[in-house]
Amino acid sequence: MNRAIRQLAVGLMACYVVLFAALNYWQVGQKEELDAKFDNTRAILREFNRPRGNIITEDGVVVAQSLPNTTDENLDFTRDYPTGDLFSNVTGYFTKDFGATQLERTHGDVLVGSTAAQQVRGLGDLLEGNVDNAGSVQLTMRYDAQLAAKFALGGREGSVVVIDPTTGAIIAMFSNPTYDPNTFVGQPFETAQQVITDLQNAPGNPLLANAYQERYMPGSTFKVITTGIGLEAGVLSRETSFPDEREYTPPQTNDPIQNYNGSLCGGDMATVFRRSCNIPFAKTAIELGVERMVEGTRAWGIDEKLPIDLPRAATSTFGNVENLDQQLPLLAIRGFGQSEDQMVPLHMAMVAGAVANGGQMMKPYVIDATYDRAGRVLDRTSPDVWKTPISPQTAALETEFMIGVVESGTASCCLDLAGGIQAAAKTGTAELGIASNPDLSHAWIVAFAPAEAPRFAVAVVLTNVQSTDDVAATGGRLAGPIAEGMLDYLLTGEGARG
Amino acid sequence: MTHAPAFDDEYGAGRRVPSPIARRRRNTELTLVVMAAMITGAAYAVAALGTNAEIPPGIVVFVGILLALLLCAHIVVRLVAGGADGTLLPLAAILHGVGFVMITRLDDRLAGLQATWSLVAIAVFVLTLLFVQRTTLLARYRWLLFLAGALLLLLPMVPGVGQTFNGARIWVSIGPINFQPGEFAKVAFAIFFAAYLADRRELIAARTWKVGPIHLPEPRYIAPIIVAWAFAVVVMIGERDLGSSLLFFTLFVVMMWVATERVGYLLLGVVLFGGAAWFSWSQFDHVQTRVSNWINPWDDPLDKGYQIIQALYGLADGGLLGTGLGRGNPNQVPEAQNDFIFASIGEEFGLFGATAVLMSYVLIVGAGLRIALRTERTFEKLLATGLTTIVGVQAFIIIGGVLKVIPLTGITLPFVSYGGSSLVSNYILLALLIRVSDSAARRLGELPDDPTTGERWQAWRLARQIRRAEKKGEPPAAVAAHDEAGA
Repeated sequence: MNRAIRQLAVGLMACYVVLFAALNYWQVGQKEELDAKFDNTRAILREFNRPRGNIITEDGVVVAQSLPNTTDENLDFTRDYPTGDLFSNVTGYFTKDFGATQLERTHGDVLVGSTAAQQVRGLGDLLEGNVDNAGSVQLTMRYDAQLAAKFALGGREGSVVVIDPTTGAIIAMFSNPTYDPNTFVGQPFETAQQVITDLQNAPGNPLLANAYQERYMPGSTFKVITTGIGLEAGVLSRETSFPDEREYTPPQTNDPIQNYNGSLCGGDMATVFRRSCNIPFAKTAIELGVERMVEGTRAWGIDEKLPIDLPRAATSTFGNVENLDQQLPLLAIRGFGQSEDQMVPLHMAMVAGAVANGGQMMKPYVIDATYDRAGRVLDRTSPDVWKTPISPQTAALETEFMIGVVESGTASCCLDLAGGIQAAAKTGTAELGIASNPDLSHAWIVAFAPAEAPRFAVAVVLTNVQSTDDVAATGGRLAGPIAEGMLDYLLTGEGARG
Repeated sequence: MTHAPAFDDEYGAGRRVPSPIARRRRNTELTLVVMAAMITGAAYAVAALGTNAEIPPGIVVFVGILLALLLCAHIVVRLVAGGADGTLLPLAAILHGVGFVMITRLDDRLAGLQATWSLVAIAVFVLTLLFVQRTTLLARYRWLLFLAGALLLLLPMVPGVGQTFNGARIWVSIGPINFQPGEFAKVAFAIFFAAYLADRRELIAARTWKVGPIHLPEPRYIAPIIVAWAFAVVVMIGERDLGSSLLFFTLFVVMMWVATERVGYLLLGVVLFGGAAWFSWSQFDHVQTRVSNWINPWDDPLDKGYQIIQALYGLADGGLLGTGLGRGNPNQVPEAQNDFIFASIGEEFGLFGATAVLMSYVLIVGAGLRIALRTERTFEKLLATGLTTIVGVQAFIIIGGVLKVIPLTGITLPFVSYGGSSLVSNYILLALLIRVSDSAARRLGELPDDPTTGERWQAWRLARQIRRAEKKGEPPAAVAAHDEAGA
């Protein structure tokens, strides 16, 4: 029996070695991954009884703050979002039981004052028994601009993004559907759990920011990119002209491509851009070929995660490019922004911004600076170039084309800015091609103004809009007025400065 | 005819003092027990500092009572089991202490109850050592213990008495008293099986029954393993208690294997249990939930996966050194004081502290199996093996569940988890292990095999009968009977 007992000892020992290995796996190996899980509240709990600083807009409105807790005796503070749903996509939320998101997660250390710099600076205060070392985060976003964006959208599903094209600073970024963190933050566990679960299952995913965490088919706004690639490659120029055509049959198929509504469309470069013909851009994509087209889209930052200072940003995409040279019709269609093309609304604002900024696409950011308890700067964001997809000459030419869109093209209806300020724009109507509902589309516009010295670049998308027999749901008609409203407000309206 | 001295045997002839090695064991035990009390007291103070930022006012009283209890247990061991292994009691004490500190830190309303149960457990430990002074006493009551074990196991299924709690029907409620009879049944079954197999192990190993080309033991000799398997299945299905079921079955299979030294039983056990497990997986939702939760708890992070996910977050938050006692948030895990206490320990004591707990179980297993190797009596070998297997496997099942090594099954962590049944039954188990250890030491002549209190009393009665008989001139019937029995 002794032999079996010894074998049993070895067997049990092996069991405990496995346990020891598992313990190491969770406590050391997976530590960082588990600590970073969005629903992991351990770090939050530890921070929960410490004063937590404010998140403040550029124009000084507090959008996230800590208030003394009056309902739960175990917790000293509760988090409050005075502007409701207005900034929830950026601040995120900070809960005890369901984790923290966005800036509340990534800048929790600044807000409670636990960064190394703050701890060193706060040492004197701590010795005096002052435990409040909370820092604050100042945004580049403006409360008034955000409010204007919300009203402009008017509850419709979609996004509005306004950036400063010269720096990449985000001035307004609002999308529907969204959520009000106060509906579950600081609520009793069961209530909060119900609200969060409902939000998770709600259509349109309100917890995700459509403006930078979702992507949509861009339609004709993508032609800004195709034109840029064509001009840079020398395939297109100001003088290029296309015949008036109704149909074009790309290689490898018998199915012809048509213009919007099957219209007859052609002319010189400025004209086809202004009228937003499809066939010239399909031809351009075919002439560029797969390699140059894919490389060109990469130069615009497509298929690369947006470098915004917020977590979990989406990635725009040119679609699957494997064996694309065997599927040239798809390449042609993607040349004018249909099929598998998908763009993040923020990215489209950056595309307009790149044209406005002489070809330089700036890194987008929402944090202007972080401050310690005494108001001293901890870290200030300095603007940085992300991509340079086009030369200043190409940018100037594209600006010209985009002015044409406003003056006599697809946006002529709706982008006549107050005070005689000239805007430049490109519209897009992405037909989703759903068999059961062929009239469903995304209505886009990208624009910047003033055209000669751009201060603001805008992207607007209204998603899943329905055309009727009387009114076509086009980007110009639906998204145009929103862009106009935002630019007017910021340049000459109540929001104008200087 | 001379009958005195009645119990002067060949082993300890002429020696009336323990050997140095036996004495050293007791002194080691004393030192370790005092250390365990000090560590527990310090942890208690630190936990209070961590949660309330103040030294608990009753700290001196706490340490005093703790020390008194452990010293009492130690002194009883010194008196009636002087040759026993010196590490078992301190190991149990430190696990018990860490568990107690953790439980009071998790919920101070449980402190009073757990303290009362601790008192009862130590008392039962002492009583077990005092009552069971010879291991043969246990073997004698094997069938009674079997019956008791079976009844205890089935009791929760009796309508009106059994209680379902957290999905498992493992509680019994009689009047104001609630307990988990399964915790006691495991000890009873270990004793029964050790006794049963000690008698029949050769017959079972012989495999004289031929079914075609396969040699099997006589059906009547393998009947118990079939019964055991049936019990495990009944527990698994009737009480929804996967953990206990696995524990019982492992216990039986391991004891069959050790007794017969035939690996076939191990394989047969795996096949039988695997079959039953597969059947219950395919038939019962709660088993499927357990398995899918094990594979990916993040499928349902707010409901079914919540407990294990929170436990893993706690472990990760603890990291190498832990958050510090009272500084973590182990209460995020539902039932933290019970099945998930190991996660709380990992969170606040860190990898180092949790490893110390693992090591404690490894050391208990080591000590227990060393006892099994040292003793020469088959019954004692099997008993020590069985009891050790219970502790080792039970701790493995629940820690493995918490660490997502195996599917989670609700079962207590011996000596650490909250709960009276678990604590009392494990102290009984510990007392029996210490008894076997002491018995082995006596056989090896490490200390005089003095007659026990019971035996002294019997001897005194016998002597009195003889005296009376001699006085009356009658033939001493009792003496004759004793001679026969002793022969």
